[in-house]
Amino acid sequence: MGRVSRDGDSRGNAMKSGRWTGLLFVSPWLAGFLLLTAGPMLYSLYLSFTSASMLSAPVWVGADNYAAIVSEDPLFWISLTNTAYYVGVFVPLSVVLSLALAMLLRARVRGLRVFRTLFFLPSVTNVVAVAVLWLWIFNPDFGLLNSALRVFGIDGPLWMQSEEWAKPALVVMSLWGVGGMTLIFLAALQGVPAELHEAAMLDGAGAARRFFAITLPMISPSILFNTVMSLIGSFQVFTQAFVMTGTVQPGSEGGPNNATLFYVLYLYKKAFQEFRMGYASALAWILFLLTVGLTWALLRLSKSRVHYEAGHGR
Amino acid sequence: MCAVALLLGGCGGGKGGDAVTYQCGSNALEIQALERDIPAFTKRTGIGIALNPFNGDEKLYAMVAAGQEPDIFTVNNVLRDRFASEGRILDLRPFAEKDPFADRLLASARADGVSLDGGWYSVSNWAFTVGVYYNRALFAEAGIAPPDSTWTWDDMVATARRLTRDANGDGKTDRYGVFIGSHFIEAFEQMNHAPLPREALFLSLSPEARDVYVRYLALMQDGLMPDTRRVQAMGMQAPQMLENGTVAMLVEAVPNTNLFETLTIDWALAPLPRFAGKAPRYFRSHSGGLAISARTRHPQRAWEALKWIVSGASVYQPNPVLRDADFAGGWERKHARLAATGFRDVWRLAEQQEGGDPRYFVRFSSFTMAPILERFQPLLDRLWSRSIGIDELAAAVPGINARVAKDLENTLATSAMKPVFRDALRRQLAGQRPADGK
Amino acid sequence: MADRHESAQPAWIAVLRASGVYLLLLGASALFAVPVLWMFSSSLQDLAGVYRQPFAWVPSVAHWENYARAVTLLPFARFLANTAFITVLNVLFTVASCTLVAYGFARFSFPGRDLLFSICLGTMMLPGHVTMIPMYIVYAKLGWVDSFAPLIVPSLFGSPFSIFLLRQFFLTIPRDCDEAALLDGAGRLRVLWSVILPQAKPALATVVIFAFIGSWNDFFGPLVYINSPERATLTLGLNMLKSQVLGSGTVEWNVLMAASLLVLLPNIVLFFFAQKHFLRGMNIGAYRA
Repeated sequence: MGRVSRDGDSRGNAMKSGRWTGLLFVSPWLAGFLLLTAGPMLYSLYLSFTSASMLSAPVWVGADNYAAIVSEDPLFWISLTNTAYYVGVFVPLSVVLSLALAMLLRARVRGLRVFRTLFFLPSVTNVVAVAVLWLWIFNPDFGLLNSALRVFGIDGPLWMQSEEWAKPALVVMSLWGVGGMTLIFLAALQGVPAELHEAAMLDGAGAARRFFAITLPMISPSILFNTVMSLIGSFQVFTQAFVMTGTVQPGSEGGPNNATLFYVLYLYKKAFQEFRMGYASALAWILFLLTVGLTWALLRLSKSRVHYEAGHGR
Repeated sequence: MCAVALLLGGCGGGKGGDAVTYQCGSNALEIQALERDIPAFTKRTGIGIALNPFNGDEKLYAMVAAGQEPDIFTVNNVLRDRFASEGRILDLRPFAEKDPFADRLLASARADGVSLDGGWYSVSNWAFTVGVYYNRALFAEAGIAPPDSTWTWDDMVATARRLTRDANGDGKTDRYGVFIGSHFIEAFEQMNHAPLPREALFLSLSPEARDVYVRYLALMQDGLMPDTRRVQAMGMQAPQMLENGTVAMLVEAVPNTNLFETLTIDWALAPLPRFAGKAPRYFRSHSGGLAISARTRHPQRAWEALKWIVSGASVYQPNPVLRDADFAGGWERKHARLAATGFRDVWRLAEQQEGGDPRYFVRFSSFTMAPILERFQPLLDRLWSRSIGIDELAAAVPGINARVAKDLENTLATSAMKPVFRDALRRQLAGQRPADGK
Repeated sequence: MADRHESAQPAWIAVLRASGVYLLLLGASALFAVPVLWMFSSSLQDLAGVYRQPFAWVPSVAHWENYARAVTLLPFARFLANTAFITVLNVLFTVASCTLVAYGFARFSFPGRDLLFSICLGTMMLPGHVTMIPMYIVYAKLGWVDSFAPLIVPSLFGSPFSIFLLRQFFLTIPRDCDEAALLDGAGRLRVLWSVILPQAKPALATVVIFAFIGSWNDFFGPLVYINSPERATLTLGLNMLKSQVLGSGTVEWNVLMAASLLVLLPNIVLFFFAQKHFLRGMNIGAYRA
């Protein structure tokens, strides 16, 4: 499978004829990018080199914003560390958990559709409307989580009000929404041909062996997809922290003691509470570069491990 | 593709070019009430009002940036000063000069809308004070007389001590004497005569303010009050603690519809306790106000509409910013039980005093509030978790102020402020810069 | 696990395994269903019930009238029609445009393809907060503010998320089939339609579900671009129940939860029925008895 090049050029004439046709096919996206997306992106890049407040005309300041962020802004480093923690914990956990759920949700049992729907529920429930639910779940005294822990004789932590536990609490809250990733894995698992498993079974491969030798390689494009999307999403984690810490009391977003001050939340505060749009834009572009770098590394690393074209060459 | 786009574009667009657009609140009942009232106003004055109830900070900035903001919109103090300094909202003084309406506003409401240049840029549309809600049955049971305006902090602590109890002796408190959300500390700073200069550019922890923090921490240390971190102060948790008897006294905003509508216990209201030997400083807090866009095509009509919103639209009446409105009476009619709770007395005390708004959000200058709180709030979090003490908090103040000064100089150097604002801010900076600031 | 042939297992092992799976499913799905159970229970409480401690999962009196209040407090039908209109167009446009673009990225070699694809991914990596205002200005210049256009037109150009997703799936489909079809003289669109798409049904169903959910539950888009109450969507309606009259209102959480459940319902129905595209191939895997 891996031997086959993805590049159409190595194929016969039929493929070669598609040189400009391909561009035609991607033109809807290209048009949208050029007409709608590129302008605002480039404008924010320009703003990052200016002292733009929210509304006033931007004044060119060169790389001052970037220099100030890196050299004299402790909150930049704090928020970056918080986000790195979230990325480091959430991305692997979300991929593993959603894959495990997808495997589980292929079991041949009665009411499978209902089960799948139940797992998907948190992903369609409005996060703002259920913030009140999560505040209740994490409530130190009468919350669901600590009540459950109390059954086992454990005195649970303060969760959202504790410097140590606020980030893990938000990870738990986010993990609960892995239904979307599970769905993608379910779709990918449909593409694993049954014959492969049957052949391997005849060769005496056990379930674990078949999972690692057949299933994983066959769905590796989806694993890559989910990992990349989880990475991009985690770098921009915002809403959970915003709704969960902002409703505790006024001005408490990102607390306690900056424990949940994620990068984009900090950027948001700079842009919309301090009106420093130039500075916030510089923050955004630093995050952009970090995300690009990590995604690129991930794609490079995965190159030899991701198998496209299922069943080809057999 | 383009045809579809045009079609979709065509079915939108601004409506009623002559109507004054008003960015009202998003509440369903508020919208319904306004839609019910507007036709009569339009019939009387010939001025139409189009509602835009979908708002958020980001949206407002985007609208302003695109030159499409509503004629009338709500601003908080920070936005008001920013917009005023860039000439984006109208100075209302020219309207007020020839209109008796301005005299109907309480002085504090009027003062709240004034910006650095002395211009009047926003009209308050709401006010509240802070009081002590208490469980009257528990007071009676313990033989404690209802508190009045003469009671002191020490009286409150003594009362809390008598009401705190561990009923089953398991070492866990079942009922706390009192709960004060940490965002109400500012109110007690005011009662303790901490100097709260309007438009303070810098953070200061006066001895009076530190005294309040020490007392607040003591309430928790002595087990008279639940750990402030355990109680979600916003929302309904604190009110529920009063309802189910977990606390006997609760410091909260007055009026507070949540409490009025959900409490089923026998409750009453007391004014904030005073500090021994000091005259009380009750106050009203104003929550921002309505401003008129400088780009409005019909300023006079917008002013008429604004006046009607504040003084005529039923959903905002009786409006606490109006001298001639019977606010306490109106609320007693809305909520029958209020008459027996002391609400009227607490409100009257607040009305008689013109004590300034003590909230952090208001008492710091709009141009330094965010930089101050960004650095101060984490320290408060650490104070509540007792990883620092009050002395360390105080020791951090000069460092915070040095950074704030730097940010402010940055703002002065780069933002598109009108000269009169820039000069006023420079004068403030020269007068207030702390000695140990940079 | 080490059985050589699962079909040779004794029946009791299969039963044991099946019941183990069942228990696992039941436990895990209970965990995931908590939010909606809680919302449902809250939607039947009185005003303070949402916050009552301890929470009463079964309220002593079921306040079904909360649902009636949710529907009458808001012009529900109007909001529903608006939301449905926006969502249906979004789903159609997204599926159409993303299929074409993903096919282009997956099956063609053209100058700058990899760079363009990287840019496509890159557009997701800049936080929207800094592009939102220039974006708004663009729509304002086009005269599209307070219309549905800013909420629909972008889907004509495809979403990077769905393009990436479909590309990943298209790449797993063997090229032999398209090549055979091309040699038979089929055009590119024909190959896409009759060779690729039938094999990518689960992926298409996934894109439909994501596009639907994204559009139906979008709050920020309508919040920013819609001004007139008569053009509001259901999410803006929910926000009308959540926000308070300046300083003096009460959030009727019970009514809000009732309304939230009503808004949630179409998502559940869609997901329940879209699943038939995920059921094929069920007979493989570890649990075959």
